[in-house]
Amino acid sequence: MELEKNMVVSEFLSKGSVLKQGAEARVYRDVFLGRSTIIKERFPKKYRHPLLDEKLTHRRTVQEVRSIQRCRRAGIPTPVVYFVDYTSHCIFLEDIVDSVTVRDHIAATRQRSHPSPTLVPLEPLAARVGRVLARMHDEDVVHGDLTTSNMLLRRSGDGEAELSLVLIDFGLSYISALPEDKGVDLYVLEKAFLSTHPNTEPLFQKLLESYAASSKKSSAVIKKLDEVRLRGRKRSMVG
Amino acid sequence: MHSSHPLELFPGRTVTLMLFKCVRNPAELRRSAMGGQITAALINPRMLVDPFQVIVAANKAVHLQTIGKMKTRSLNSEIIFNLSPTNNISEAFKRFGISDADDSVLVVLVATGDESQTLADIKEKVDGEQVPMEELPTLSDVTQIRKLYKVTPQEEKMGGLLDSVVCKMATKDVM
Ligand SMILES: Nc1ncnc2c1ncn2[C@@H]1O[C@H](COP(=O)(O)OP(=O)(O)OP(=O)(O)O)[C@@H](O)[C@H]1O
Repeated sequence: MELEKNMVVSEFLSKGSVLKQGAEARVYRDVFLGRSTIIKERFPKKYRHPLLDEKLTHRRTVQEVRSIQRCRRAGIPTPVVYFVDYTSHCIFLEDIVDSVTVRDHIAATRQRSHPSPTLVPLEPLAARVGRVLARMHDEDVVHGDLTTSNMLLRRSGDGEAELSLVLIDFGLSYISALPEDKGVDLYVLEKAFLSTHPNTEPLFQKLLESYAASSKKSSAVIKKLDEVRLRGRKRSMVG
Repeated sequence: MHSSHPLELFPGRTVTLMLFKCVRNPAELRRSAMGGQITAALINPRMLVDPFQVIVAANKAVHLQTIGKMKTRSLNSEIIFNLSPTNNISEAFKRFGISDADDSVLVVLVATGDESQTLADIKEKVDGEQVPMEELPTLSDVTQIRKLYKVTPQEEKMGGLLDSVVCKMATKDVM
């Protein structure tokens, strides 16, 4: 019976195109209810106990759905959820068409400014990311996996200024009001940001300044970020 | 004048919609739907933004029927329940089901294969004027929709009313 249930969606997915094969999930693009749709399927991890695995996978799916709705309610752009299949752990999401990841956008912009490297054209974007993350944290949503690949830029008019920022991939997200959790969220981003985009420290600084200026609760978070950085450094000195 | 939409997850199944206004026999229609003479969901279009909203509800209903997890007794009532932003069944029927005082109705039929006879039979029973689906917005009450789905201004500004409504419907079981 369990197998049969899951057949419906897996039949459908077998015809879609795979966008990304990750360690926890596959991401597909297909037409669903007449619309271009992104389908994120979490699959079982063979090395985990089946029951525990089912529980964890279910929880991730629920967390992702909850955080998306919570962000949207606050006006923080995330893809619309069209449908969730909790038996096959699939989320059917709005396809942010005509979008690029912030990662690709930064890389392409830097490429263009070569050979006279400048980060100035990217400063407005960094500031915007800081603002959006501040709003997300003010809603007590902790993303859990902030990277520049998990942020999309969608063209919403003409010109650079009209790019709107859409947050994706809330699979590791959770609700927390603790400055520590939010500080770690920023720390994860900082690590990912600076390793993906080498020599962009001033840009990330800009992001943090904008974060700090946008949230009333930011000073406690930044303080925690500093502590976590220090811990990180100590740990790497020991190890 | 009806519109048909395939449910991609369930090959062969389609959702067919027919919109009527100036309906003179709502009470009779409601009784026929309850008695099983009309095998379609009869929906009051006031709380509908767009046909997509109904198709999302129908897809979820067929899915829950397939896995044996419907919250109501029939596919058609499940469609009505899925339209609602809350998990209260009687409230869903009050808001979205046709009532004796309504003068417009959206007929929603989920069918496998040829449904032309069923559509003709239903059309026969409705004492009203069939209009194209494009007229749906003229029958909806945007202010009431915002209120019912608790759509915040910042949410609506970001992606529009339809997106907000659909996302609310799709996520209601875990919120
Ligand atoms: N809603 C969307 N619209 C357009 N593209 C999307 C959307 N969601 C995901 N993508 C594309 O698919 C990629 C992978 O998506 P996502 O990050 O959600 O999957 P994941 O497997 O959880 O990734 P990760 O390994 O980062 O956890 C994204 O980088 C993006 O390019």
